[in-house]
Amino acid sequence: MVNMAEIHVLTGAGQLVGLGLGSCIGLAAYDGSKKIAGLAHIVLPEAFVDRAVTEPGKFADTALPELIRKMELAGASRASLKFAYCGGANVFKFGPGKTNDVLEVGRRNAEAVKAVLSKFSCRVVAHDVGGNSGRTMTFDVATGLIQVKVLSVGQEDLCTLS
Amino acid sequence: MKLNELQLSALTEISNVGLGHAATALSTMMGKDIQIDVPNLDSVPISAVDRYFESPESEIVGVYLPFDGEVNGNLACLFDWPSAVNLWETLLGSAPETAADVDELYASVMLEVGNILTGNFLNAIADMTNLRMLATPPTVGVECAYTVVSTIICQAEYSDAIALAVETCLYSESHSITGYCMFIPDRPGLSLLLDRLGVADAA
Repeated sequence: MVNMAEIHVLTGAGQLVGLGLGSCIGLAAYDGSKKIAGLAHIVLPEAFVDRAVTEPGKFADTALPELIRKMELAGASRASLKFAYCGGANVFKFGPGKTNDVLEVGRRNAEAVKAVLSKFSCRVVAHDVGGNSGRTMTFDVATGLIQVKVLSVGQEDLCTLS
Repeated sequence: MKLNELQLSALTEISNVGLGHAATALSTMMGKDIQIDVPNLDSVPISAVDRYFESPESEIVGVYLPFDGEVNGNLACLFDWPSAVNLWETLLGSAPETAADVDELYASVMLEVGNILTGNFLNAIADMTNLRMLATPPTVGVECAYTVVSTIICQAEYSDAIALAVETCLYSESHSITGYCMFIPDRPGLSLLLDRLGVADAA
């Protein structure tokens, strides 16, 4: 299980799980030929300019380079990496405060992840963002299959990174 | 920001009084005696998920609202699913079968419960410190515990890094209703609160 602000990399077999992603984003990277899988649990769109970054996995703009670095450290080849991401929802969908600007952090996270992936010219296979539902993301290391579970819908396949 | 023991106990005291007022108001609304635990102050509230709820994947109902004024921050009241069902049955006479069945009507009952709790809590703290704190319109989410709590933390951190979270349990006599409150002032707001309580940092 990959907790908030963490980045985990696994090789060969096993599962990486981003549990209950609300406004957070689960960003997955995969090197299919070597079966190396990484998952970052991103919390905020960008690092605070006036503070040192102690948890690079927390912010979209610092999490992607750190995820790539950890994948390469595990032996992945940068050119063969494929990516997928999900999350960025607003789960507070009822009430007069639902349009409050503060609740837009999910959307901002999704936009920031999209922008940084494009900046690093990453190949994005699939994404599932926005809406009002929390998502649990399960990433199978051996096959590259990513599944997304939503409370009201159940589990569905997002894509296979291979 | 690292808090000393005096500061922690001052904050625990005002939270205790604030939550006492909130619990009394909810008791009146419910026609049931509602008690509170002595609040627990924590700067790493995500750890609370395991402590509070059966599992991070169990469904909960969260009422969330930012507040502003002289102190800015975030407030949330969380109820596990059986407690939410009891609240609905007491106040409305019926309850949704599953989380997916929660509609605007059921959500509005939770908004009202949240309004009563947070309004009384904020007023009590504002009176004690003579600082203005105004609740903004609340919002309700029904999701797994991890999702609700992590989203609140994201939003709190987005406004400014979390300085402190005050958490407490409130419960009815028969324990048919248990709820948790989180009070998360931002950094400048926390400094101002400490100053008014006479326990500001010497610096």
